[in-house]
Amino acid sequence: MTTVITRTITRTVVPLIFVTAVALMLQGHNLPGGGFIAGVLTTTAFALIYIVYGMDFLEDELFHNVVRGPVEHLQYGIVENYRAMFAVGLLIAAGSGVVSMVFGKNFLYQTYTILEGIPLYPHFEVASALAFDIGVYLVVVGALLTILSVVGAE
Amino acid sequence: MLPFAAAALTPLVYRVLGERTAYYASAVALACFAMVASQYGTHGAVSFEWIPALEVSLRFYVDGLALLIGFLASGVGVLILAYSGAYMHDEPGKAKYYTALLAFMGSMLGVAFAADLVSLFVFWELTSLSSFILIGHYTDRRSSQYAARKSMIITVSGGLFMLIGFLLLANTVSQQHAFDLAWMLEHPAEVHEGLVDAGMLLPVLGLVAVGAAAKSAQVPLHIWLPNAMEAPTPVSAFLHSATMVKAGVYLIGRFRPLLLPEVTEGTHGLPDWMTLFTILGLATMTIAAILAVAATDIKELLAYSTASHLGLIVAGFGFASELGAETGAFHILNHAMFKAPLFLVAGIIAHEAGTRKIKHLGGLRHDLPITAAITVVAGFGMAGIPPFNGFYSKEFLFHAAYEAAHVHGGLTWLYPIVAVFGSIFTFLYSVKFVMLFFGEKPKGLGHVHRPPAMMLVPTAILGTVAALIGLGGVADTFGFAPTMINHFVGEVIGNVLPPGAHAEEIHFSYHLPKHLSPAAVMSATTIAIGAAAYPFYDRLHDGVNRLLAINPLRANWWYDNTVYGLNDVSIAMVPRVQTGLLRTYATWTLAAVSTLALGGYVAAGVSLPSFGGLAISYPMLLVLLVAVVGAVAVSIAPSHVAGVLTLSILGFMVAIFYILAKAPDLALTQLVVETLVLVIFLLVLDRLPTFYGEMSRSRALRDGVLSLAVGATVFVTVLLTTAASPNSIATFFTEYENTVKIAGGHNIVNVILVDYRGFDTMGEISVVAMAALSVLTLIAMRERGEIQ
Repeated sequence: MTTVITRTITRTVVPLIFVTAVALMLQGHNLPGGGFIAGVLTTTAFALIYIVYGMDFLEDELFHNVVRGPVEHLQYGIVENYRAMFAVGLLIAAGSGVVSMVFGKNFLYQTYTILEGIPLYPHFEVASALAFDIGVYLVVVGALLTILSVVGAE
Repeated sequence: MLPFAAAALTPLVYRVLGERTAYYASAVALACFAMVASQYGTHGAVSFEWIPALEVSLRFYVDGLALLIGFLASGVGVLILAYSGAYMHDEPGKAKYYTALLAFMGSMLGVAFAADLVSLFVFWELTSLSSFILIGHYTDRRSSQYAARKSMIITVSGGLFMLIGFLLLANTVSQQHAFDLAWMLEHPAEVHEGLVDAGMLLPVLGLVAVGAAAKSAQVPLHIWLPNAMEAPTPVSAFLHSATMVKAGVYLIGRFRPLLLPEVTEGTHGLPDWMTLFTILGLATMTIAAILAVAATDIKELLAYSTASHLGLIVAGFGFASELGAETGAFHILNHAMFKAPLFLVAGIIAHEAGTRKIKHLGGLRHDLPITAAITVVAGFGMAGIPPFNGFYSKEFLFHAAYEAAHVHGGLTWLYPIVAVFGSIFTFLYSVKFVMLFFGEKPKGLGHVHRPPAMMLVPTAILGTVAALIGLGGVADTFGFAPTMINHFVGEVIGNVLPPGAHAEEIHFSYHLPKHLSPAAVMSATTIAIGAAAYPFYDRLHDGVNRLLAINPLRANWWYDNTVYGLNDVSIAMVPRVQTGLLRTYATWTLAAVSTLALGGYVAAGVSLPSFGGLAISYPMLLVLLVAVVGAVAVSIAPSHVAGVLTLSILGFMVAIFYILAKAPDLALTQLVVETLVLVIFLLVLDRLPTFYGEMSRSRALRDGVLSLAVGATVFVTVLLTTAASPNSIATFFTEYENTVKIAGGHNIVNVILVDYRGFDTMGEISVVAMAALSVLTLIAMRERGEIQ
């Protein structure tokens, strides 16, 4: 699978996909996009790396460490990181809901403010839903990558 | 609430007190009794919020009938718990025993005072549950297990019938009173009218009757009661004389005002209520009395006699007249007062003589003189011999039966005849029980010990009350009315009368017959024939037993065959449904879902929405055509790789279709998900055989039919759901106000996802996380479990 062409293209395309994914998530509130789509898109980027470079590459070259978690049968310790990732994501999503309870609103109550006069973005909208969306994003990426790498490792 | 709290504490108390837990439990019961007594004379409801969304609250309603049952449950409870202290002296599992008994008493009080259909049902099933524990007290005995299971199956399923009845009833009254029993009891006429208008009178009546009959051991659901004698004797005395079985008749009494038509001058038709309950009650009374004659064990005899007397109460409540109400209400009291001591006597006999076989017992009066006296009072009460207490209520039954026959004529003349016929058997077995104490002592029976005081005193108290009620009747005959009893029973009767009857005009009193009334003649006939037939008791006993050897005549035979038959069926089903092959599971699941869904549509008689012509553009048509080609290609693909690739053609076409249908969010999602699924599929494929195996023709046909069915289900469902246009929701989100102003987003889809339906999304991502975890466990850790 790893011809020079695919390797080269992957190198170029993966960062683009990441950027697109982040953009999709951030603009989700007003334009097509959102945490879920961004998450799946990010996962496809990882899938591309896996297929083209193999899983060892990601673990050794990118993270420079070999994690060994409690699940000894896992070939790739990096799955531990993914697992942590969706756990954190779930925490953020739930936590964002709890924050609204602190302010005396219902669980998962969302609001937004518009910030004026910031350089480059004179009209910037901050929605509390973004925090929730980031949670969604992390869960999706973490969970799908877990599935992908566990299944792929077989 | 007190008994429940006390029940929860019992295991702890048992650690501290050990044997003396009985006194603790008894004290709790006494406190309950005092609380019930403090409510005497009050009327009305108290409530606590419980399920506000359904307007269900924990409310209690106090009136005469509730007080009667409450008095029985707590008063008899005091004595039984004290008696248990001596009886359970060297039995296992005392902590469990007292806990269950207290919990049972609590739920029984709950049933009596519940002012709400839902809480009534909950307490009702709680009595079934706690009695399950009590009946199965000797957990390692097979017969105990069988008995407990049987009573559970019958009473709980009866309760479910009742629940349906309640729901139907709740539907006919206005929303804010839906489950409000107290309100219904205050407006019985309205409720009845509503039921009749909705055509629900018969269904509700029937369903409630099933519940009550199951609990009160009416024929043919009486079979659990004799088996329940496996329980320790105090439990039998408590559950099967004073409480559990009384729940059924309580229910009948409770619903009597609601389900009986209003009393108006000149109505002569037989109400459905009357037909149903008199036949049920009299049949039970007679059949159970005959079965009691066939009994060989004293507790079995008492069990059948309980069923028989409950039949009498049910029949009493069944008669629409005031006399019927008097029969039912008075006999509830009387029956508890003579049956509870008799059970306790049976316990004493079993405990001290070491056997419960009728054949082996006799002449006990020499060793147990006090017990003998109690037995005479209670046993003659059961037989209906004047001046003992059971006589008066039986007299009311005869009177009610005669009156009903007199008014309605025709076949109803069978009422008094059957009543007398059944009573003869009642007389026979009652006398037989009393005779255990007289005559000669059989040789096998050794020395019988005196019972401990803790066993004798409660029995004596109950016997004394029975005697006092009997004496009250004698006193009334001579002009000294026992006002307290009269007043109390009168109040109960007032609570069970149908609307329109002038409850406040009723002055209940009972006395020995002063002149020759039809009822007196019937009583005399009963006693005369009974006395004449008694010498042939053994022959009758054998005759009935010979009849019972014919299987289909026994209700038990039907029960056993049904239960074990069902067991066999389910055992036979398992290897068919659960083969361990994924495709079998998929086949069953999908087939079941489509059958249910399509069946539901057919049953609901939905009509397919009219088809408004194809409004479709050429690009869309093209995309769909490619999709169809892809779908066909999937089904004929020779290998997995080809199959997966063609499948993803289908997926991508769907994505393009979304774009064309102006749903960019969906399209984006579909695209990325499709890509990812393709990758995962290809990864998995590595592990599978490259080409499909051969497939039998029949299986291919089956799968084809199944897929067509599933397709049809989905097609119809989509058509139906899209035909309904939920305008309110659709327009709500397109409003600028709602999405942009309040939620601050222009993308409706996303606003819904993260804001309005945030909770749903929360659940979905939890599911995703869960799926990842399960993949992790299933695949990565699969070898772990096997090693350990």
